[in-house]
Amino acid sequence: MTPRAVAIAGIGQTAYARALPRTAWELAIEAVLSACADAGLDVAEVDGMCRFTEPFETVSEAMLVRALGIGELSFFAQAPHGGEALGAVLAQAAAAIEAGLARIVVVYRALSQSQGGRFGRADGRGPGVATRASGGAADIIVPETGNLSFAWPYGLMSPGQLFALWATRYEAAHGLTRDQLTTALGSIAIAQRAYANRNPNAMMRDRPMDWEAYQNARMISEPLRLFDLCLENDGACAYVVTSAETARALRDDPVYVLSATQTLSPYREPMGIYVQGDLLELFPPAAAERLFSGAGVTRKDVDVAEFYDATSYMPLRSLESYGFVPDGKAWRYVAEQGTGPGSPLPVNTHGGHLSEAYLHGMNGVLEAVRQLRGTSFNQVPGAEVALVGAPAGSATILAR
Amino acid sequence: MSGGGAGMSGGEGMAIVPGMTELTRPYWDAAAEGRLVIRECRGCGRLQHPPVPACPACHGADFGWREASGEGAVYSYTIIRHATHAALADAIPYVVALVELAEGPRLVTGITGCPPESVTVGMPVRAAFRRVTDEVTLPYFEPA
Ligand SMILES: [Zn+2]
Repeated sequence: MTPRAVAIAGIGQTAYARALPRTAWELAIEAVLSACADAGLDVAEVDGMCRFTEPFETVSEAMLVRALGIGELSFFAQAPHGGEALGAVLAQAAAAIEAGLARIVVVYRALSQSQGGRFGRADGRGPGVATRASGGAADIIVPETGNLSFAWPYGLMSPGQLFALWATRYEAAHGLTRDQLTTALGSIAIAQRAYANRNPNAMMRDRPMDWEAYQNARMISEPLRLFDLCLENDGACAYVVTSAETARALRDDPVYVLSATQTLSPYREPMGIYVQGDLLELFPPAAAERLFSGAGVTRKDVDVAEFYDATSYMPLRSLESYGFVPDGKAWRYVAEQGTGPGSPLPVNTHGGHLSEAYLHGMNGVLEAVRQLRGTSFNQVPGAEVALVGAPAGSATILAR
Repeated sequence: MSGGGAGMSGGEGMAIVPGMTELTRPYWDAAAEGRLVIRECRGCGRLQHPPVPACPACHGADFGWREASGEGAVYSYTIIRHATHAALADAIPYVVALVELAEGPRLVTGITGCPPESVTVGMPVRAAFRRVTDEVTLPYFEPA
């Protein structure tokens, strides 16, 4: 990928709320139209789409082409692993544009958890769970897919529970007390809530949170409390990817893609906890090097980071795995320096999934674009370079 | 049964049981007999869990099942206090753990036979089997 060959020319989003009276399809349509309008494009010009695979994304490109009256797509692709694909869909879109497979690619993500099932619940969702009669009671049979048949029978069913295992291991591996871990996780959750309080689009905009409120929240899966876990909501995001040349013709402030990368190693897919060696290594150091060397920037050049945060543990560990803080030091770093305004690296300045809304990493991309345009509600002064990263699967570096 | 560790056969009499494939059935069949087994490559001796169809080390396809000692240590754990499934409503709080076997592989499992709050990383444990239905027994672990 050539740095600055491809740019994001438009962003769009719906309102975010616990329940919206609209389908995911309707939400996707609004976000895509909004992103095209922001780019100054007629949606009819779209000739490419990238999205997450099902079961995560339920709105297909076929549904959107049909509903939006798009004549023809010449490129469309999907990336697996849910939020881990936040940079993958952009990498695919950028590659397609550089290769000449499409001219205007829309990337989108639409969620209706109120209608389609909450991600924090295992009943009513999950891998096609069947039941059978057994001694008068119905058993739940977990089909073997992605090793879930070895986890669900023990009651390990949700991402939050899994990341509690990572957080506990982190605590033990680095010799933290439980209080030190709680301080680190809480520092992240509270900083993100404060950002959300200044973001009128954030679900938690009117809900301040102090240490007492954080610590008094109920334990969900120790060591993770309620406010260490992401929101569950409805909403949609979309953005328009095109060549730098086209983007400059459309607007004065395109946001350039410096690099984007995917990564997959054995058992590093979501819920893939059976990794051999160090469980804590998530985003591989080699992939981080690829991301930065491809972008031609160093860690010091990055002004703001938007880290995927289904739990507060993920930004904590991402500070280390992307190389901003040495391994095992982020817990002290976030407690002492923080991730808020004026910190060395502001993180999740929209409030993140913990406090803005859960859009599977896509709202982090939109916030990075706003930062680089200078239009964030929590603007980092003079922000020029932003990193958007998933815990283990993909990432991108963007610049103005 | 530990405090609340009532097994995953909680509310409404539902048990959560593994679906089985040709690849995974021998593991559960052994558990039903009170044995913990790990799939082993006969070509190079590498152990794998959960089973995959090839040996990632030598690409061999000749496999057997090695009887594990049942001894291991807690690699990580979480005390789950919020049920994410109706079938677990009566089971909370319960402990989910990653146990590293003496033989090397790690298993997702549960810890039984002690209060949830007494579990620690590094705690030595040994296999303890829990029958959850007439057909299915799950390997659990208890303090060694
Ligand atoms: Zn082998």
